[in-house]
Amino acid sequence: MAVKSLIDGLTLAGAVLQGALALVLLGRKAWKRYPLFTCYAIFGFAVSMMFFFLQRRPTIFFYGYWIQEAITISLGFAVVYEIFKNLFSTHEALLKLAGLIFRWTATALLCLGVAVILVQSPGTIHLGKAVLVLEEATRVVEVGLLMFLFGASAAFGLHWKQAEFGIALGLGLYVAVQLATVALRSQIGVQAWQVMNVVSILAFDSSLLVWLGYLLAPERVTSAGEVPKRAQLEQWNQAVMELISR
Amino acid sequence: MITVIVIALALCAVVLFYTAVRSRRKQPGQDVRPIDLTAFRILMDRDDELFLKENLSRSKFSHIKRHRIRVMLRYVGRIAANASAVLRMGEAARQNSMPEVADAAAQVMALATQIRLQCLLAMMKLSLEYAVPSLQLTPGMLEPKYQSLRDSVSRLGVLTQSKAPLAIAI
Repeated sequence: MAVKSLIDGLTLAGAVLQGALALVLLGRKAWKRYPLFTCYAIFGFAVSMMFFFLQRRPTIFFYGYWIQEAITISLGFAVVYEIFKNLFSTHEALLKLAGLIFRWTATALLCLGVAVILVQSPGTIHLGKAVLVLEEATRVVEVGLLMFLFGASAAFGLHWKQAEFGIALGLGLYVAVQLATVALRSQIGVQAWQVMNVVSILAFDSSLLVWLGYLLAPERVTSAGEVPKRAQLEQWNQAVMELISR
Repeated sequence: MITVIVIALALCAVVLFYTAVRSRRKQPGQDVRPIDLTAFRILMDRDDELFLKENLSRSKFSHIKRHRIRVMLRYVGRIAANASAVLRMGEAARQNSMPEVADAAAQVMALATQIRLQCLLAMMKLSLEYAVPSLQLTPGMLEPKYQSLRDSVSRLGVLTQSKAPLAIAI
């Protein structure tokens, strides 16, 4: 009963945060720069509202849930691609190479996803289990692509815009936790599913807070004042010289 | 088994995201550090390395070479960090209303991007040399490219009449 109340409370908090996110995105005209993420957020909010009224109709709720999950995951992939495009668009020299690596990474992750499906479903399985395995496989690809984005930006020394970083971070956090919970669900008993639900909803609410925080925070501007003073640079230079002459 | 791999992947992702948040919190200007290109050239001197190889025992040579590589890796890391700082600076300069400044910024950014790629390659080669000290894969392209970047940044500084000491710093 306590877990049920916790889930209800977290779901309600999530719906409020989703509404706030939709308002922030619309108020800041974010659809111009992030049309797919705006779709993702508004679709999530609309679906939450719809499911609130469908709770007493379990059959419709069940199929509706998995259909919205499929659409949300597809939109999630679209958001990853949108971040990739925005991140590399100002670096023409990198775009071709990064695009190539992105495609190869996606192919490798797809193979891993297929491997997950083949290993997790050796025989005949029921619909619920099949859907979980499919979700696990797609989340593997999604997490992998987000890891690629963070890894590539670190390797190439790219500068993330505040909002883009927040979108990727929030999505990554939610998807990683969702992947872990989906993978565990297939291994543990139904009794522990409630706990997994709490963890999953908590992760989603945290992601909403991350998105809101980064979208509302002012953009950090690179200014001349951030460049160190010459005397400091000379001190560093001297230290390097000492290191070499040792 | 596959569940363990999947959960490990999820954990790695969380660690990577945490690292990204931490590194983002650092002030961007803190990455700008001076590079002594003369010293860097000396470190990369193949003749010097050959001399050491001929005059030292194998174990002593390996020890000294690994030490040199560690220092070289620091240099390459600094060059990479400075190229990143230039990329950030270039992004701001690209928005400039004067077309010649925007063009110069675009050129600087393209060069800085190339240097980042060269640095990745150099780090891979140096890591291989660290593992097998008898290998000689010293990156030859990096130093002239960095000198070219330094000249381009100076030109951009003249165009923008910037008082920022970035061109001197790098």
